Amino acid sequence: MEILVCIKQVPDDSVEVHLKPDGTPDIDKIDKVVNAFDTYALEMATRLKEAVGGEITVVSVGGDSVRDALKNCLSVGADHAYRLTDPAFAGSDTLGKALLLARAKTWLEKKSGKPFDLIFCGLMATDRPSGQTGAELAEILGAGLITGIVDISYKDGVISAQQETDSGYNVVETAAPCVVTVNRPAYDPRYPTIKSKLAAKKMPIDAIPLAELGMDGTKVGAAAARTRTVSFTEPPKKAAGIKINEKDQAESARKLVAMMVKAKVL
Amino acid sequence: MDREHKDVLAYVEVSDGKPVNVGLELLTCARSIADGAGGKVLAVLIGSGLDAAVKKVAASGVDRVIVVTDPAYTAFRQDEYTSVLERLIRRYEPAVVLTGNTSLSIGLAPRLAARFESGCVADVTSVRRENGRLIWLTTRYCGTVLANEVITNSALQFATVRPGSFSKPETSKTAAPVEKISVAVPADTVRTKIRDTVQKISETVNLEDADVVVAGGRGMGSAENFKLVEKLAALLGGVVGATRPVIEDGWISRAHQVGQSGKIVSPRLYIACGISGATQHVTGMTSSRFIVAINKDEDAPIFEIANVGVVGDVMKVLPVMMEEIRKIKTEA
Repeated sequence: MEILVCIKQVPDDSVEVHLKPDGTPDIDKIDKVVNAFDTYALEMATRLKEAVGGEITVVSVGGDSVRDALKNCLSVGADHAYRLTDPAFAGSDTLGKALLLARAKTWLEKKSGKPFDLIFCGLMATDRPSGQTGAELAEILGAGLITGIVDISYKDGVISAQQETDSGYNVVETAAPCVVTVNRPAYDPRYPTIKSKLAAKKMPIDAIPLAELGMDGTKVGAAAARTRTVSFTEPPKKAAGIKINEKDQAESARKLVAMMVKAKVL
Repeated sequence: MDREHKDVLAYVEVSDGKPVNVGLELLTCARSIADGAGGKVLAVLIGSGLDAAVKKVAASGVDRVIVVTDPAYTAFRQDEYTSVLERLIRRYEPAVVLTGNTSLSIGLAPRLAARFESGCVADVTSVRRENGRLIWLTTRYCGTVLANEVITNSALQFATVRPGSFSKPETSKTAAPVEKISVAVPADTVRTKIRDTVQKISETVNLEDADVVVAGGRGMGSAENFKLVEKLAALLGGVVGATRPVIEDGWISRAHQVGQSGKIVSPRLYIACGISGATQHVTGMTSSRFIVAINKDEDAPIFEIANVGVVGDVMKVLPVMMEEIRKIKTEA
């Protein structure tokens, strides 16, 4: 089974983001990590590879810094990594990125001579929770799409995925090629070992520039973007709440209930 | 464009014969966009056994209800519904298409946007019109930042609406006309098949609809202690919520998860018990109207968004709280 995993590098999502004086998000000092949902996607892909054989290629759109993200992926299951790095890609919206990923898929298939059976994406990115890239990629590729899966298996040419629902899950089946978007599975992504980290360090992470993709650049980048952010704001701050901290905790509880009664929420 | 594109096509997802909450909420959003442009709201329902849902939507301030039923549509069918919506968009030529940002609908709008080479904004919490163009407010970074987005170079505007962001429309006295349409979906566009639908939990956990949510975090200490959260929820007629670590520890089923990889809730009252307030959790409950937090760590970030917080041990505070609430209930 040939697997492509699309990943995005994002600011650590456990850090609260504020705006800089110029009104843009202040993310420069926040650690860059692989989008949490993409780490779930890679883990699921790796388990599938371990079960049925094959290879995993990871790809990401971004600047030089995505090397680090891709290196991490190489240390936890990926066999090959490529980055879509070109000044012409800057400012692409999700549709532009999906187009780049679709072209990269074709380019990679030509290079290896092996078509991808499955394309994994995270359900959404934690920096911009749009959940669009995987769906748009499926559409551009004319491939099947299963969103929000929590497990996957492959047998006799049939891909079978568990798609989470409010009360359980759907078992959705399809044939390759297919795009899946991954929600949090029941298991945690594995950690790299010292050995796997060292091995990943030695592996190449080549850039695929625009010229290689057989497109002229009018469909990607800021000028082609169909969505544009005009400004950022911070959500209105909640007025500072009341903190009760009595020595006697029962007293605190009684005060709390009295306040809830006053606020008419009981 | 030779035609006037002013209408809003609003897809109302139906589950168990009822419109899902955000399906109704987005009609409020659709109404305001349509009114600003002098256009109409066309609500679309797809599935089977839709009669009750259609009736509800027809009385929700829309101009027309378009119904596509097929006995084969017993569960949400991604490929078929995408194709049905594509046909309806070609036929009715709306300016704006809205869908709910739900676990099943999440792929519809972006797929259609790619099909129509149009722009799509996701997780919209509000929309306004400025100088004739729509400005969509969307969330970033776990909701700690909001972005004003516009769609350009695009005939159509697609948007997915965040659950709990708009109020449901009031029931109107007159019902909108209902149009039943059959759409033949080309077989070659159907690539996935739902083989089985598995119900893991017997009870329906309707967190998004809940008036009161009582949620517990790892600070509850153990599965045994977590039962107190359930008891308080029962006492208040609320629904139990939980953070991701609690789900991972198996104290309660995944259906109860609130936050980034769980549900987005906005109840009238949210009681956070032993929850520190990680951004991944807070993004799912920050729009609750009244937030109560109980945590032993005075510096827990949950206190920054709580209306009232108690610094203390949940195991000591919750029992007294419940006793007090019971007293009030018997007095009333």
